[in-house]
Parts: sequence; C-alpha cells; structure tokens
Amino acid sequence: MIDVESKINSFFIFNSTFGPKEGEELKRILFFHPSQISADARKIQVGLCEAVVKFMSTFSSEPCEALQTQTKRYIFYQPEKNYWMVLVVRIPYATKALSSIGEKKGDMVQPSIMQNLLVTAYKMFRMFVGLFTDVPADVIYTKCQQFFTPYILSRCITNDVINVIQGINYLPLEKNSFLKIVCFIDLLEINFQDFKCIGFIYNEQLIWNGLSTDDMLTLYQYLVQSLLPKQVEKEIQGGAVTAAQRHGRFITPCDGIHTDEDIDKIIKVYLKLEDDTETKQYYLIIYRTLSATICLTVYADKTLELETLKSLDAFIGPQLYSIASTISKQCTLHALQNAQLANTENKFLYFNRINLAFKSSVPINSLSPSAAIKPEVLNIIAGIHSDRKSLGNYGEIIIKTLDEYWITGKSSNEREFYVIIQKKNANVIEIAEEVKQVCEAQMKGIFFYPM
Amino acid sequence: MASTSKDSLPSHLTHQENIDDDLVPGACPESILNPTDSFEEIETEMSTDPEQRHAKLTTKSSTISEIQSEIGEPSKDMKTAKSSDDLKEGMASSPSSSNITEQNGDDVDTDKDEYLQSPELVNKEKHVFILSSAGKPIYSRYGNEDKLAGLCGVIQALVSVVEDHDQDILRSICTKDCKAVFLVKGPLILVAVSKSNESETQLVMQLTYAFNQIVSVLTLTQLNRIFEQRRNYDLRRLLAGAERLIDNLLIFMEKDPAFLLGAVRCLPLPEKARENITNAIISTCNKIRDLVFAILIAGNQLITLVRMKKYTLHPSDIHLLFNLVRSSESFKTAESWTPVCLPKFDATGFLHGHVSYISEDCQACLLLLTVQRDAFYPLSQAKHTIAEKLEKMKCIGAINDALNRSKDLPTTNPLKHIGIPIIRHFMYKCKSTAQLFTSDPISLDRLQDYRIMHKEGGDITVKKIEKLSDIDYVKNYRKFCNQIHCATVPAKFIFRSNCENTILAWITNGFELYVTFDALVEKEQTKKAVDHLLQWIKREENRIFIMNAPTF
Repeated sequence: MIDVESKINSFFIFNSTFGPKEGEELKRILFFHPSQISADARKIQVGLCEAVVKFMSTFSSEPCEALQTQTKRYIFYQPEKNYWMVLVVRIPYATKALSSIGEKKGDMVQPSIMQNLLVTAYKMFRMFVGLFTDVPADVIYTKCQQFFTPYILSRCITNDVINVIQGINYLPLEKNSFLKIVCFIDLLEINFQDFKCIGFIYNEQLIWNGLSTDDMLTLYQYLVQSLLPKQVEKEIQGGAVTAAQRHGRFITPCDGIHTDEDIDKIIKVYLKLEDDTETKQYYLIIYRTLSATICLTVYADKTLELETLKSLDAFIGPQLYSIASTISKQCTLHALQNAQLANTENKFLYFNRINLAFKSSVPINSLSPSAAIKPEVLNIIAGIHSDRKSLGNYGEIIIKTLDEYWITGKSSNEREFYVIIQKKNANVIEIAEEVKQVCEAQMKGIFFYPM
Repeated sequence: MASTSKDSLPSHLTHQENIDDDLVPGACPESILNPTDSFEEIETEMSTDPEQRHAKLTTKSSTISEIQSEIGEPSKDMKTAKSSDDLKEGMASSPSSSNITEQNGDDVDTDKDEYLQSPELVNKEKHVFILSSAGKPIYSRYGNEDKLAGLCGVIQALVSVVEDHDQDILRSICTKDCKAVFLVKGPLILVAVSKSNESETQLVMQLTYAFNQIVSVLTLTQLNRIFEQRRNYDLRRLLAGAERLIDNLLIFMEKDPAFLLGAVRCLPLPEKARENITNAIISTCNKIRDLVFAILIAGNQLITLVRMKKYTLHPSDIHLLFNLVRSSESFKTAESWTPVCLPKFDATGFLHGHVSYISEDCQACLLLLTVQRDAFYPLSQAKHTIAEKLEKMKCIGAINDALNRSKDLPTTNPLKHIGIPIIRHFMYKCKSTAQLFTSDPISLDRLQDYRIMHKEGGDITVKKIEKLSDIDYVKNYRKFCNQIHCATVPAKFIFRSNCENTILAWITNGFELYVTFDALVEKEQTKKAVDHLLQWIKREENRIFIMNAPTF
C-alpha cells in the first residue's frame, strides 16, 4: 500500500446568520458537496457543526478546529466571521489486529493535511472570486457552486509531501541567466505600462516573484496543480511542438486570445500588489512559450484592447523563446545533479518558512505524485512540521519507528530540514552522523546547524 | 492479549547494544500485577467499531463467583449488591426530592451560559463532567452541577445526535487551545474539557478511571440495573461521598506519572525488609481461606502484595485503592470494613476489605480483601498479628525510613546517587511487572504538596518558570508517551533537543524509559548516561521493585 487515498466524505460551507429563524436552516448552507445528499441530511450535518462550534465557544475563545467521531474527522475553518468551511473525511478503524499485520497504518490522514486543504481552497476562492462578505447574498450560492464543485472534485486528500508542507519549488539559476530574465521583465513593464509581471515559472519551478509570498503560494498552486498540468497534457496530445507553441501564446482562456470576446473570458483575480493599499481586482494574463510561463496583471478598471494584447504577444514571443532555451540548457545540467540526488538512498526535505522555498530529494510535482515516502513516515514529518513549538527556533528531533525508519527533523532560523533513513541495527549516533553528511552534501551554505 | 503482539518482533536494541531480556532492570519471571497496558487497551477500544464497543461492557464473567465456587462458598454476592441497592433506592427515591431537583434544573437553564462564565468555572485547566445518558448531571469537577443542567443537556444532545443519525460515536472536539473529549460508558456520559497538553487518549484514560471510580463504589451490575429501571435516575443520591474520591483521583492523575505509564510505584525498601513483611503476612494469613489479596501500601506506593494463586491485580485497580486510602481520613482513626469493587478484577461484584493503618506511628495501610462479607473479626485478628510481627522484626522502622526519605538511602535522591549531572529527571517502567521508578520518589510531605499545589483550584496560571518541578518534567513527557503508544505510527525511540532541554524516550520489549537532560548535550554523552542509568537501576532493582509474586 503506497499511496492511500482517503475520500472526502463531504465538504460544506455555512453561515448561521443567513437563516436565523427555524425553518430557514437550508439558507445557512452556502455550499454542500456531494450534491446528491438530501436536504434533511444536510441540515443535520450542518446543525451538528453549529452545535459543536457553539459548545466549544463556552470554553475557549479560539474557533473550533476539529471534531472527531469514531468513523469520521471533521475539520473546521472560519476564514471570515460566521463563515465556516467544514471538511469531513472518513477514517478507517485502525484496529490493533489490522495494524499488526502491517495494513491500514498510514491511513489516518493528518489533520494538518485537511486543514491545509481548507485554507488553500479558501485562498483560491478569495483570489478568484473575492471575500465571502463581498459576494452579494443572492449570488453567493451560485458563486460557491461554480467555484467549489470543480475545485473539490479535482482534489484528493492524499498523504503526499506537497499536501504536508506547502512550499514553492524555486529554480536556482546562474546569475547571467537570472539577470536576463529580470531585464526582460523590466523591458516589458516599461513598454507596456499597464502590465505588471507577477511571476515567472519554468516547468514547475518559480524564478521570479512579484507578489507577497502568501499570494504567490496560491497562484503557484493554481498554476502547478491545475492550469499547467492541463496545458502540458494538451501539448503532449498535440504531438510535435507546433509553430504557435514555439512562439508562445496566451493560455487563459485556454484557446488563446484572438477576438474581442476572448478578452471577456480572461480571468480576474483579487490581489494586493506592491504599491496597493488594498486588495484590487486585476486581469490575470498568462503567457507560455516552451516550458516558460509568465503571469501578468492589468488593473481591472482598464479596458483591454485586442491590439495591445497582439503587440504584447509579438513582444514577448521571440524574447521568451530565447530565454526559455537558455534555461533549458541549464536545466539539463540540473537534471544531471538531480539524478545524483535521487541516487542517494536517504531522502531529505527542506523548507524555508520565510520564502516558502521547498526542496526535496523525492520528485514533487502533480504529474508524478511522490510515492517515495511511506505514509507513516510522512505522518511523522507532518507531526513535526505542524508542531513548531516543540523544536523552537532551534532544535532537533530524531524518531525511530517500528520498521526501522529513522526520521530526523531539524529546525534552525525558520528553516526546516528532514532526513529519512532506513537502517537496521543503527544507533542514534550513527544516524546523526549520516544526517550531517546529507546536510553537508545537499544544503551546504543554505541550512546551518552546528551540532 | 493484543498488547504484546507487536513486541514479538526481533529486538534490535538500538541505543544500547545488548540488554538481554533477562537483564531488563526490574524484570522477574512472575508478576504480582497484570501488566496489560491500559493505554493500548484504550487505543484499541477507541478504534474498534461502535457495536463492538457497546457489547463489551456487558459480557464478562464474574471472577468473584469463580473464587467463591472454588473455595466452596455459596455465591452471596449478587444478593449483597441487591440488598444494598434496594436499601439505598428506598432511602432516596422519595418523589418530592427528585421533583425539586428537576425544577431547579429548569429554573437555571436560562442563565446557564452566564454560570459557565462565572469565576467558579472560567479559566480552569481541566473540567470533568459526568452525566447520565438521559442528560442528568452527576458530577462536575468545579462549580455546582445543579446549575449545569443546561450544559449537560447540550452534551447529551451532541452525543445522541452523532449516535442516532450516523450510528457513530462522538469522540472529541478541539480548538487551538482546548480539547473536549467524550466517553460514553454504559449508562453514563463522561466529558473532559482540557487546556492541558494531554492527548485525546490520555484524557480518555482519565475518564475511564473516573468511570471505574464510580463502578468501584456501586459495581457495574448495580449501575446498569439502576438505569435500566429508571433512565432518569439521579445517581448523585447513591454517590454521596464519591465526589471527593473523583476529585482526588483527578488531581492524582494529573500529578503522578504512574497513570501516564499504567504502572505502580513501589516503596523502595531493602530486599530483606520487604521479604520479612511479605512473610509476616503469608504466615498469618495462609489459613484464611477466602482472603484474595493482602496489600500493604504507603503514600501511594506499594510495599507488598500477597495474592491468591492464579489471581493478579491490574495497576488501575491498585490506583483506585491508593486513591481510596488517601482520600479517607477515617481509616486513620479506626479499623474499617468496607465493600470495594475493583473494576478490572471483577466489575460485577464487591470484594470486602478490612482496611487499617498498621500502627499509630506508621503511615502504612493494610488492606485485606476477601470474598466473604462477614469476615471482619478474623481479619482484624490477622491484622493485629501482622502488626506485632512487623514491629518485632523492625520492619516499621524500615518503612518509616523510606517514607521520610532518610538521607543515607540510595533511593532518596537517586540523581545524586547515580552521579550523572546532565540528567535532570528520569522515569523508568518495567513492562513485564508494570512497576515504575522515577528520579523523584514520593514522600509524605510531597503527597501533601499535591493538594497544596492544587489549591489555586486548577486555574490556568501563566507564571515564569524558574526551576521545573518534577510535575513539570512529567508534563513534558506526555507528548512522548503519546507518540510511543500511538496506535497508528508508534515510535520506538525519540530524541529531541531544543534550547530548553534534551528529552529521550525509549521503548523496548522490556521497558520504557524517559530521560530529561540538559539542553545541548552531545548524543554520545546521553548514550553513556543512559547506559549508566540502566546499570544503576539494575543494581538497585531489588530495592526499588517487587521482584517476586508471593501467594498465600
């Protein structure tokens, strides 16, 4: 059993102030998945959650986070006052009899993974639709329906690294190539004053970021987990690289921008850019050549002309092509190094809380989900990752499991470093020595831990 | 049982090269205690499916009737339970009084939210509520349970909604700083609302203890029958006096690592002294046919336990006896005859206990437990003989020395005696005998301490900690214990260092060990220290543990 999928039992959003009177309970439910659940069953589920929230409020000023029953786990998230998002996952009975024969052990989905899913879902909603409170009451039901139905169907809760530690994969570049990209972005922004570049991604690795890390993470997740995989699939189906792909094209809306109607289809997002004092709505324009993807924004009050976009296309196309080729060469070099990484038996993960940089010896992207880390081990890492206080600013933990896995977690200066070693008959001193070597080999100059 | 299944894996002792099983400090071929791990039992119980859980409470054969039939005694026990039941029922069930309480409940219902915010209840580290499955309040750790009728109604509703609509069981609710844990056991609902760092399993264990405390007063048979007859019964009428037992038990559980590890502390005594005490008891009591257990305890520690062949006690039953003795001042003044139900031993009936302190100048208390309900005089006689023998053999002095932590005993200040300065605190459990030893043995004045320390009333206080007390160390171990016993991904070894300290937790087939070191110690140093520590425990094992399992 490698990758255990736990099905989402249900996912719903409610606001008790929407139907305060008896008989109006259904009005409180803004969204309910799966849709085939009867109205009565919905009312009971939501009623239970309302009662639980109220019960806990008598004892704690903190909002309710989780409800655990024998067969289900409910995770609560209150992103805005009175708006509650609840995710329900079925949990298997982890009986001793089962666990002793080595089954079901990792089935328990970490609460932190579920919590992450809710928070990410909300942030996506906020970026693409806006705050719950800003959506007029009469359209909120349909807005939620339109946004969350496809969203939740595309998610599966797996015990996967990317669900445990939500980070951004950065592409390290040699400085000339990096400067080339920065120059290109500057030139673009000068020539097209209304346009701001908010992100530059190669494959699934971020090179340039013009947003706050929090917004970037959401945009990055949207690109890497949803938009780009679809694109790549299309490109593969298209066979040989077509001329258009060579020269690049707008990838939202998915068939490109050719007519005035296409302009209306451009997605809009809510963002707070560098000079903004508050969140504003922007057009999000995404352009792709070869494996390079660039994200641009234009203030939504501006009228976009087809002509502007056409000249933008003419400007970006050839330049991005040449940049993408340069990066591609460098990446080949990287790939060689990465192959070496993959060869080392010991797996490691690195995460920087400040810029959300994430690096790992196991492949991490949605195209090849990492099956390399056992769910049990991942659970332990999730536990360490979510309990920051335990290690503090500076600390180390070594845990040995029943099946001879040694998991080391180190925290130093807002950075985290994990090494997984499977070794029989080892002792803690040998393991510590090995971890030191991995750190030295992979993280030299990046992660410091003197002992 | 299931608890040992995973221990049968080949043992690769990792931290230290080879400790053979027979070298495990404190291990002995036969144990006076039943070493079943209650922690694991609870974990298992929590994760079995709902129907099995319900079935579990009812089906169990009676050990007491088994003993009675063995010694050719007619089974009187059921009758005993019934008669006392009838008696109390008759005494309390005058309809008027029940009406009054019910009316009261309705009256305060409206302002129950305000009551929850009153100083009596707000800002407590841990609440415990016990109610009947009909929602009638039975016990509240703080405040007046009468005024909590509204809250109990809410709890009952939550539990039953989950049960009725989903055929599911409500287990816990949490916020960032607070956990509410629910346990439905038979006709009772037990709830803990805690802001401590205890895990769900640890809280369930405490609730189970609270339930067992009630069973210990009533027996499970009687408890079930009461609610079968009258679902709306106000159980407080039968539990008068037991509130104090539960109060004390809750404090006891928060402070003593014995509960965390499911083990019993022994009073450290020279091997010879313990042997003399045990022999004095055996030679006096071996003629008394219906005597099941003779237990000598002092200050929540076991001195010796002599038992009927085939029968052992579970640590949790001993803990209840500790709690009973510690909570009852009256035992100090007179010999007592008291019915007591030991839920793990036999939840369906009472044993009868002769309880008395061994002498006026000694805090050791002798419990003689029998299946015979009118054996007071022979047992009283036996007690006096035992007391005389102990006096003659100077055992009382040895007990007092240990209790007063006389300076020249190695176990009085173990850390000083071991002499490794980087060790700040440790606790050790020998798994096969379910006994534990910590670097802070209890003494009498410390026992008083527990109650003084709880004087603040269980409020959450934010205080700057300058020097950790022993209880603080134990609190730090809770998370480690939980991870080591966790049902899904149990750990065998944990080493954690941060800027405050270094903690090591290690479980093998034979023992569990938790050690706190100074911050930033080298791993090699900790390894050496642990080796040394285990050798010391091995060397002193005859003093700190009970290494045999005497029978009558």
